[in-house]
Amino acid sequence: MKTKLTLAIILATATTAALAGPIEEQIRFRQSAYSFLGWNTGKIKKQVVDHPETFNKDYVAAAANAIAAVANSGLGELYGAGTDQGTGWKTSRLKPEFFQKKDEVTVVANNFNTAANELAKIAATGDVNAIKTQFGKLGETCKGCHDLIRIKE
Amino acid sequence: MKVTVRIWDFPIRLFHWLLVLAVVAAYVTATLGGNLMDWHGRIGSFILGLLIFRLIWGFIGSTYARFGSFLPTLPRLAAYLRGRWYGIGHNPLGALAVFALLADLSLLVGTGLCASDDIAFEGPFYQLVDDESSRDKLSGLHVQAFNFLLVLVALHIASIVFYRVVKKTNLVVPMLTGKKEVPKALATTVIGGGVFRFLTTVIISGAVVWGVWEGVEIIKPVESAPVTATPPSF
Ligand code: HEC
Ligand code: HEM
Repeated sequence: MKTKLTLAIILATATTAALAGPIEEQIRFRQSAYSFLGWNTGKIKKQVVDHPETFNKDYVAAAANAIAAVANSGLGELYGAGTDQGTGWKTSRLKPEFFQKKDEVTVVANNFNTAANELAKIAATGDVNAIKTQFGKLGETCKGCHDLIRIKE
Repeated sequence: MKVTVRIWDFPIRLFHWLLVLAVVAAYVTATLGGNLMDWHGRIGSFILGLLIFRLIWGFIGSTYARFGSFLPTLPRLAAYLRGRWYGIGHNPLGALAVFALLADLSLLVGTGLCASDDIAFEGPFYQLVDDESSRDKLSGLHVQAFNFLLVLVALHIASIVFYRVVKKTNLVVPMLTGKKEVPKALATTVIGGGVFRFLTTVIISGAVVWGVWEGVEIIKPVESAPVTATPPSF
């Protein structure tokens, strides 16, 4: 009887962990991916917009490629059911409405992917002004998604 | 018997209409985002300058620009609500709105200086806030302060319409011309203000705004230094 109870407790704990685990993990990966995007947009901002005198083609192209790679990595997989409630590195800021707005999200997410790929292409040319323009467009697509599904604190 | 009094001096009128334009521009640039966020920061800083200007002008400007002349004290508010307040500057309820608007704008600018859009723009003080959740909260507070500003502006405009329609008083024209017809008994001589004080105040305000942006380099030189031009080796 005692063994059965212990077994039941262990099983119950394991199941909850198995359920909670992936959710927390998805949020953590998601937050990491977006933080990494932020690191790379920050680098481009400094060299292309704030201090164009420090512009280095390879440095900026590397950041642009990283953004495109993250965009193309299939981030949508990190938006599983229940990932609006939970804590990754910190409490998730995904709006619960996300799950009712999937069509709209698909549109803004695709805008982001297109802009990111375009930026990587333009970054390869090393044309600072063209990069700056496309970088601005990319930023608008980040914002488009944040306005739609990210909670404002 | 009515006489014409110059209630709003030129600097106050300039402040008022520049503030209107700048707040609209700040809203538009923040809503569009992208590369316009840099302009949002510049326009917001201009508003910071306007607020510092207004603060100083509230003490050395001409009579009706001075905070002391329209402090919404309880006795004044009570008298106004009973219809027994007589005066020609801001009435006590209007004065309350003026202070609320200025306070909320200060909060808006103050939080904006510490905010980030998490994409490619941050205020000059963002790097000075070390704790991440405080950073997020300050950015959030910035947006909330803006939403509250919309409420205050709506009240402001509604009361102007109320005065126009119900009390048959036009408040907009005096804010353009500075002149208002008032009963002779209430008219007082307008003192203070002047070109010299105006220019001095403009220079001080400009200097503070400049210091806000440039001072950060002195406090935290590492964060604000440009990145190295060449990529790291790995
Ligand atoms: C498909 C929608 C979407 C797009 C596109 C998007 N974001 Fe986000 N971003 C989010 C969501 C949702 C969160 C909140 C994640 C959470 O807390 O669970 C977030 C969070 C962030 C964070 C905070 C990460 C953290 O946890 O500290 C940063 C930084 C960020 N995004 C930057 C960017 C940048 C830069 C871009 C564009 C290059 C971008 N995002 C594009 C949806 C998006
Ligand atoms: C009084 C003038 C200002 C007004 C009216 C104003 C208005 C706004 C508004 C409406 C937004 C929200 C946009 C959105 O919904 O995403 C915003 C965002 C922002 N503003 Fe301002 N702002 C002002 C001053 C400033 C200043 C002085 C700075 C910094 C120098 C600043 C920095 C920011 C930042 C970083 C954001 C992004 C915050 C976020 O999206 O979470 N603002 N502002």
